[in-house]
Amino acid sequence: MPVEVLRANVRKVIIEMLRYLPNTVSLVITFYVIFLGVFFGIKVVGDPATVEENVRYLIVSNAFWFLLILGISSMGWEVTAEATRGTLEQLYMSPLGAWRILLARMVGVVGANLLIMIAMIFVSMLTAGQWLNLAPVPLLLILAPMLVGITGLGYATAGLAIVYKQIQAFLQIVQFAFMGLAFVPLSAAPWLELAPLVKGIDMVRQVMVSGYGLADFGAADWLSLLLNSAVYFALGLTAYLACERRAMNRGLLGQY
Amino acid sequence: MSALLDAQGLVKRYPKRGADEPLTAVDGVSFRVEAGEIVGLLGPNGAGKTTTIKMLCGLVRPDAGSVTIAGHDLGRQRAACLARITAVLEGNRNLYWRLTARENLLYFAGNRGRGGAATRREADALLERFGLAAKADALVNQLSRGMQQKLAIAVAMLAGTDIVLLDEPTLGLDVEAGYEVRALLREVAAAGRTVIVSTHDMPVVQDLCDRTVIVAEGRVVADERVESLLKLFETRAYAVTLADALSRDQEAELRASFPLLRPWSAGNGFDADLERGDDLYRLMSGLERVGAKVEALDRTTVDFEQVFRRLIKGEANGRDGGGARSVAVPTAAAPQLEEVRHAR
Repeated sequence: MPVEVLRANVRKVIIEMLRYLPNTVSLVITFYVIFLGVFFGIKVVGDPATVEENVRYLIVSNAFWFLLILGISSMGWEVTAEATRGTLEQLYMSPLGAWRILLARMVGVVGANLLIMIAMIFVSMLTAGQWLNLAPVPLLLILAPMLVGITGLGYATAGLAIVYKQIQAFLQIVQFAFMGLAFVPLSAAPWLELAPLVKGIDMVRQVMVSGYGLADFGAADWLSLLLNSAVYFALGLTAYLACERRAMNRGLLGQY
Repeated sequence: MSALLDAQGLVKRYPKRGADEPLTAVDGVSFRVEAGEIVGLLGPNGAGKTTTIKMLCGLVRPDAGSVTIAGHDLGRQRAACLARITAVLEGNRNLYWRLTARENLLYFAGNRGRGGAATRREADALLERFGLAAKADALVNQLSRGMQQKLAIAVAMLAGTDIVLLDEPTLGLDVEAGYEVRALLREVAAAGRTVIVSTHDMPVVQDLCDRTVIVAEGRVVADERVESLLKLFETRAYAVTLADALSRDQEAELRASFPLLRPWSAGNGFDADLERGDDLYRLMSGLERVGAKVEALDRTTVDFEQVFRRLIKGEANGRDGGGARSVAVPTAAAPQLEEVRHAR
């Protein structure tokens, strides 16, 4: 991807986040309030023997729920907003291809939200008085393929938004599906390993909550993580390109 | 020499809800545009102008036909084509309202792979040239509609393409802003760009365009140089002032030979479009025969709006005559238009 496209889009994401600061701040506060609600719930009614582990589990799951929602749904919101403004067609006139522009936009959105997520983890740890295992190498190695998977699902959402435009209700419902993906432990529902990103979140929890290191994961874990991410990226991009074709055949790009 | 842009047999049909037959928005549109030309794409609402424009810049895929830009086929070599063409489709809606004027310019340039100090300098020069330098750091939603329109055109200029498509560039602007945008479009053309402008604003066409392609019901009904069309209608149009209003019998007798007479509401005269030079003598003889006394005979000044309306009206006349693919040019104008075509 040309560096100018990446630079222009990351810059735009940051500028808009700062100009719509009340929106960004209220979103972070909402997630923090949800965290506080569940945190005090665990403290009050949870099993005292497992409170500490449950709280650490909550901190990680809540942060990844935030990342999933903003990383995946944001592309749907972005495309819907572009269509409403009338700028969507401008993106499709770039000789570099709209998919590259959207990818650059996703890098900006996911990158910015990743930073917010890290800040949220620290604030949550401070609030709960619980400290997680922040091992950078295993976390980065797990996060990298996860972000590829998130990008794939972001493409799929963008594709739906290009064709159907009014997908806000769908995006709102999908947030609860993401909650399930982020919170349900893989040990309780092993079949969820096939679902997007669940394997990655589970591995992150094992590192941050249970103190796993690189050596504690087997080849099957890494293979599952990589395959899951690759498959969802490929599926998402294919769905997006199919939607783009349909939109161009039906003249839907500029319609809202 | 091959044309810079060549549209051949473009067809676009959209599925129509509740109907078996699709809606045909564009039905075999063909035209060519040479480098450096300014072409006006005209037509009434629903004529297929916007769909045509969108097919030219790759936003809508045609069901049939092809678009070639500088020898590259848009369907197969999309990137090569889009590097040479850009469009201002919805004017001020083509901009990000929460970004400043300068940020918009640099963002869209970045999406075309342009950046760095040279692009920033070019953006600033454009802001200066378009009279927007003082508003460079103002958010777009704080600019007037005319300024937003100018900025949208500046964005297209910074794209650095050979061809700029403009859809209704003066729509919704007040007189002054419309005048400024027109002056700006002249500058765009003077900078060597090829401009295709879709508009309802006839002064834009008359002032700016070398040639006009008129579409109606998805088909090209005229493709002529603006001056040729004006000259053609001007030489045939006369205003005849009479001493007394024509009686019904007199008018009926004259109409038998000259169907394109348009009596004035005041009654004491009529406008006449004549088919050939010697028709003027026949008209005078006819008036003498029915006993009408001529007080004055003037050649009518025709503006492009009148030409457009007559051509579009001609389309309807042609269909009434039962032609499956109607000829848009009014019956009276057709032979002379053919002459103009052959002379080119």
